[in-house]
Amino acid sequence: MAGTNSIVLRGVTKEYKRDSFRIPVLVDLDLSVAEGEYLALMGPSGSGKTTLLNLIAGLDRPTTGSVVVQGQEIGSMSESEVTRWRADHVGFIFQLYNLIPVLSAFENVELPLLLKSLSKRSRRDRVMTALKVVGLAGREDHYPRQLSGGQEQRVAIARAIVTDPYLIVADEPTGDLDRNSAGEILELLELLNVEFQKTIVMVTHDPLAAQRARRLLHLDKGKLVDDVVKEAGSMSVAS
Amino acid sequence: MKFLTYILRNARRNPVRSVLTIATTALTLFLMMILTSFFAVNDEVATSSGVHNRIFVLNSQGFAGRLPIVRVREISELPGVVAASPLSWFGGKYNEEKMPFAQFGVDADTYFTVEEELTVPADQLKAFKENKDAAAIGRKLADERKIKLGDPLPLGRDLYPVDLKLTVRAIYDGPANSDLRMCLFHWSYLDDTLKQYSSTAGGNAGCIMVRCKSGDRVPTLCREIDTAYLNTDNPTRSQTEEAFTKFFVEMLGDLKGMVRWIGMAVGLSLILVGANALAMAMRERTTEVAVLKAIGFNRQLVLFLVLAEAMIVAGLGGLIGAIGSKLLFDYVDLSQFAAGLLPFFYIPWLTAVVGLVASLLIGFVSGIVPAYMASRLSVINGLRKVV
Repeated sequence: MAGTNSIVLRGVTKEYKRDSFRIPVLVDLDLSVAEGEYLALMGPSGSGKTTLLNLIAGLDRPTTGSVVVQGQEIGSMSESEVTRWRADHVGFIFQLYNLIPVLSAFENVELPLLLKSLSKRSRRDRVMTALKVVGLAGREDHYPRQLSGGQEQRVAIARAIVTDPYLIVADEPTGDLDRNSAGEILELLELLNVEFQKTIVMVTHDPLAAQRARRLLHLDKGKLVDDVVKEAGSMSVAS
Repeated sequence: MKFLTYILRNARRNPVRSVLTIATTALTLFLMMILTSFFAVNDEVATSSGVHNRIFVLNSQGFAGRLPIVRVREISELPGVVAASPLSWFGGKYNEEKMPFAQFGVDADTYFTVEEELTVPADQLKAFKENKDAAAIGRKLADERKIKLGDPLPLGRDLYPVDLKLTVRAIYDGPANSDLRMCLFHWSYLDDTLKQYSSTAGGNAGCIMVRCKSGDRVPTLCREIDTAYLNTDNPTRSQTEEAFTKFFVEMLGDLKGMVRWIGMAVGLSLILVGANALAMAMRERTTEVAVLKAIGFNRQLVLFLVLAEAMIVAGLGGLIGAIGSKLLFDYVDLSQFAAGLLPFFYIPWLTAVVGLVASLLIGFVSGIVPAYMASRLSVINGLRKVV
């Protein structure tokens, strides 16, 4: 499973300013994620896991340190460069799905493809493929209000994979779902990791979700306190 | 356009808000079209009238001054003149209605030569010329008041101390930008009636309309006429028909300027209304914008999407208000409700298109700030925000 390290964080610190206070969220963090790895970030509220996710996804910049993804130092890219980079390399899955309510499932999934120079037919083929992967072919004309929570999340996953990104980041993907729906979503994520070799970084509070990941990182007060790699049939501590 | 679906869906996402914004823009533009068209039509008619090479001769003091009727003959004999006619305003009542329509005493033999664009069937023109108590009325006047050939047309005293007992002998027609609600009668009939009542108001041509053979002659003829009567009891002021038409608007003072200021105030109000509506919409969509930016929509694209939405909503209001009013008044003759003060009314295409463009500009300006703020939205803060 382990491939080359395609996500490398070195000496990463992230601080936020609130009035005159500097609030450290991540402190001198080093992390390597291999290609095709399925990583879960866990920790108490305020531990910095979402901040770490944002840095890896190119949504934020570190205060100090470097964030290198597939050989590209995304922390020092301009806003337009990193926006373009995200469009090409990252798929997002949010806790509250964040679908556009005025667009159908098809149109929601198609959104990232509108940023590319693809023909209408080509976009259609890709969207239908993505919907098929998530098991929602036939529901493409439904609007979010006509779908269940689990189905909405599937559409969100389809949107995340339609551009065939290298990296999928998921922020509490099962946080708003019942047990059954959560299970389906987690199976889908596992499928994307195993069959499609997607690198997945997931923030979760859900122990069941964390179990599905192959590597589990615990953060506390901005520091990495535990790093467990799950080998087949056993657990080992990576750091 | 790839993003058109998204833009249009957003534009109608809150139907009540969108409809109210569109209706505000449409209604405001509709009213502005009426106001501005009054001047635009006047300018258009004034400019287009130049082809007829006509001069209007007034007393230098204006309408209140006299013009001896003999000057009609004198002017018609000048080189380069095709024909001349007096144009004496009567202003009488019709069925006790004050100022019902324009009424002029004219030279029946020459008037329709001077006003060459008006058409009268030959037999009716003959009847008009041959009968001293004849009236020639415009087609719109005949249609609206259901007056037929041969009907009596009594005009009661008001401005003048006499009644006129006319009979309709002709119904004239003309192009859309001509007054088709006038009542024309023999000037000599009015003059004879005034003499019968020993009135001293007779002998006054009021205004003299002159048609010249060519446009080149017009400025020279104006100077010649005014020079000829400069040192008389009733000096003249001669001007082209274009200048004469504009003269009426000038009499209203700086109404054009006032309308311009009203228009600007109205435009500013629409900008603020549109900006407020869009700002409310964008506040509700903060998370959505953050998601778009997260998946790769850059600042310029977000700016474009929001601006396009603002312009479409405003443009729709402009289409209904500006172009809609143009089409409406092409079919509904507003001038019929103007008691003769407005011989015709339409909204020129240029005015309507300018109105539409103004609405798009209003949409653009009103959308600038909400669009800019949306484009600058931090993805992380936007995703955190609970709306």
